[in-house]
Amino acid sequence: MTTIKNWALALLKSFHALKDENLLWEQNNQEQRTRLKHTQILAAKTLQAQLKKKSVILEHELTLLRTSNDAKVAMLKTKCKQDIKDYKEYLNSLETLKNSIQNSFDHLPEAVAFTIHHHAKQLLNQMWETDNFEHKIHHELQLIKFMTTIHEDTHRHLEEGTSSESIPEKTLRLIQNKPTF
Amino acid sequence: MLLLSIPKLSEMITQLGLVTLLSAFSLLLIIGLLTISKLIGSSCIIYFSAGQRLQRRLLFILTKQQQLKQLFYFKKEQIHYVTEHTRKRLLVADNRQQIKTLSTAISNDLKSLKHQLPRNHFLQLQKENIQCREQQDIEALIQLQQKIATIHYT
Repeated sequence: MTTIKNWALALLKSFHALKDENLLWEQNNQEQRTRLKHTQILAAKTLQAQLKKKSVILEHELTLLRTSNDAKVAMLKTKCKQDIKDYKEYLNSLETLKNSIQNSFDHLPEAVAFTIHHHAKQLLNQMWETDNFEHKIHHELQLIKFMTTIHEDTHRHLEEGTSSESIPEKTLRLIQNKPTF
Repeated sequence: MLLLSIPKLSEMITQLGLVTLLSAFSLLLIIGLLTISKLIGSSCIIYFSAGQRLQRRLLFILTKQQQLKQLFYFKKEQIHYVTEHTRKRLLVADNRQQIKTLSTAISNDLKSLKHQLPRNHFLQLQKENIQCREQQDIEALIQLQQKIATIHYT
């Protein structure tokens, strides 16, 4: 019985010793623990502040992006509407041009007038369909040149009053020498 | 046990064992439940903490930005598609009108040449005219008109 009592006392002693050691360790490291805890809270606060700042910046960027996108879409819509209007006007002016050729050159076969009109429309479509800016400019210049030539031909014909059998030579020459791009 | 004249000792030990086992299981269950509750609680605290909330907000804004960029791209594509479609519709309408005018002109030319041409040739040319008009082939119609013009002048 005494042995058991001794064992129990020894166990209790060692338990108390452990507790003392733990208490001592806590006492020694109390300051460091407080400091670490303080640093941790400070770091968390800094991170929160940074996140808040970033979120405000991003929200501002989002608003800007939304406004800029809306403006760009509105501009694109206007541009596309204008493009369609221009294309319609081009088609109408080509039709007027064809009529003016037919009226100026009375005896010109219908096929020639239609060939001229068809060629002009091809140039117009080439200009419209290309994505390359340089090619677009090139086709536009070709179309302008072609239309100017037609005007010159009709004007000359009306001014000089040449024979009714005459044809728009310069224009037809341009069609024959159709450049490839 | 009988020798020690404690007849109910075995029963008592069994009862004690059962109670101990039950208590151990109950303790295990309680500890488990407590641990789970603690984990759930700490997870909730972390989830609703200011840092996590801010991070979620940032992620939301970034996703929104990405969505806006994608939406802008698709809107642009849609506008381009609609514009191109409208332009093609205008072109087709104009082509149809030109083809109709040219075909009528060819038809009139053919009528004026009806008596100068052999019947078969006349019918062939008329057929070609109708065929080209139906196929909306303006180039073939122009060639046909040229052919008729040549006949007219010779």
